Amino acid sequence: MMNPTLNFHVKLLGFDFLSLTQQPSSLSSSSDPISFYRKGKPISRVETVGVVVSRELKSCKFLKFLIDDGTGCVPCIFWLNHLDSPYFFRRNPSDVRIMSKIANNQAAQIQLGVVARVRGRITSYRGAPQITVADVVVERDPNAEILHWLQSIKLAQSCYNVNLPIAPLNR
Amino acid sequence: MSSSAIKHGVLVALQDLDPSSPLFKRGTSLRVTGKLDEYSVENALAVIVDGDFKLKIDVKHLRDLNLRIGSIYQFIGELLIAPNDEAILQARVGRNVDGIDLNLYHQSLQLLKQFQENHVSDHVA
Repeated sequence: MMNPTLNFHVKLLGFDFLSLTQQPSSLSSSSDPISFYRKGKPISRVETVGVVVSRELKSCKFLKFLIDDGTGCVPCIFWLNHLDSPYFFRRNPSDVRIMSKIANNQAAQIQLGVVARVRGRITSYRGAPQITVADVVVERDPNAEILHWLQSIKLAQSCYNVNLPIAPLNR
Repeated sequence: MSSSAIKHGVLVALQDLDPSSPLFKRGTSLRVTGKLDEYSVENALAVIVDGDFKLKIDVKHLRDLNLRIGSIYQFIGELLIAPNDEAILQARVGRNVDGIDLNLYHQSLQLLKQFQENHVSDHVA
């Protein structure tokens, strides 16, 4: 059975995100040097929703911002260096240009005071967890953040905190 | 202000923000929600209400926010306490939340606080 907290975007509240524990990654296949755990369970991707309370743009490089959901401030880094990064050298250049344009459009919407929904990978910066953003959207519905709180609580109680039985292997 | 120095605004209902509250301290970072009742452009001061409870908001740092009497706003900032024990929130972020379901908001706040308390006690145990 797949681990539900490892393979999907886990909806987390800020205080929960900030209390994740870190360990050097034991998986040789993992590209991340650090693994993150919530109550002992591995987590790699998260989704959070909150008010943007800080933003620092380094044009064509990155946008750093903080998401305040009322329980904690989650640091986010959104890379905008598609056109320079060796990471994208093997990709089709026209695809990379489109990805760069989409990322820059998303970054332009991230302004102080907006409510943003952020999805991405958990990474470590100076010993603290942050989100390396995969995508970010601005929420227009004034009830979106409330819904995220309730979904995060519900999922924690019904899924993330639950120890699922290990399914027997089919031989 | 560096991003690492920014504290999250603790979610609080205006009715819970009285002098006996542990949050009623100078410098506490808070997030408050209420209907705009008064606004003085000259003094950059606004007043929000929620039921019978009011709070003054210093909005001088919010240049891009269009404030309309009767609309609902959410502000994040730091609390200042005047010598007469009057609280003023020095807002650093504000947004219009017209359309928010305030009943759902207040009920969800209770659930959220409960969840946080349980989470902390689980970690301590």
